[in-house]
Amino acid sequence: MLTEEDLAAIVGRPLPGGEYTLQPYVDWLVHDAVEAGVPGEVAHPLFGFIAGLRGKGISLDDLFEICGATAADGPMFGEHETELHQPLRPGETYRVSGEFVSAERKQGKKTGIFDIVGFRLRLTDSAGTLAATTFNSFVFPRRSA
Amino acid sequence: MSISVGDRLPEWLLPRVSREKMKTMALVLDDPNPIHWDLAAVRGLGMGERPINQGPNNMAYVMNMLADWAGGHEHLRRLRVRFQANVLGDDEVVARGTVVALRVEGGRTLAECDVELVGAAGAVALSGTATVDVSGRA
Repeated sequence: MLTEEDLAAIVGRPLPGGEYTLQPYVDWLVHDAVEAGVPGEVAHPLFGFIAGLRGKGISLDDLFEICGATAADGPMFGEHETELHQPLRPGETYRVSGEFVSAERKQGKKTGIFDIVGFRLRLTDSAGTLAATTFNSFVFPRRSA
Repeated sequence: MSISVGDRLPEWLLPRVSREKMKTMALVLDDPNPIHWDLAAVRGLGMGERPINQGPNNMAYVMNMLADWAGGHEHLRRLRVRFQANVLGDDEVVARGTVVALRVEGGRTLAECDVELVGAAGAVALSGTATVDVSGRA
């Protein structure tokens, strides 16, 4: 388990980042998969999450490793926030950038020790305009003190 | 139709969460976790006999409710949710929301809403808050 000092040192660490192209056919498939009806000129806002996840430049396994965990440890989604500064557009390519912004150790009576680590991502369109900001947190159960 | 604090948003009901659509989302999300599509893995983990819906799908159902109410996805400004419980394949789910505040920002009227997705046996799968542009309606 990470020491509290190592955990705190995660905050501020940048993510590699990358790009995500919001393909119109994938927008169609997402509309179908989440029962959202027929797509229009605006992409489903779930792409704020998807584009960040796919374009952050690091796998979830590698992200978990930074947090001192593996998928086998049972990390769970904690919270997600999408803030849309403009609607997301099918066909647009978004630049993804971001960093870890929070890391906190907690202890529950039933759950034992767990860490909550959060990272923020920004989606910038091809014109350089900020389109969306997202925040994600993962909960990492820690099995030993 | 005008919008006021205390208004309940029209519920968004999905009678049956599709097992097959989880497979599409596994590819879109590049999510290799087999609990979303491999029943043998689900059983092996002691998680029952039905696949576990992806958390983002549950969040999307709330986005659908907000879009239906506001007149399109372009009206959503912000959504924050906390994931609280799993939704399983074949579950019925319903998204709900209530307007808790109205404010004007940059000449736009924004509605702050409490939102949730309720699954089997009334369990709250996720809950949170949303900001929706309701200019011209409030």
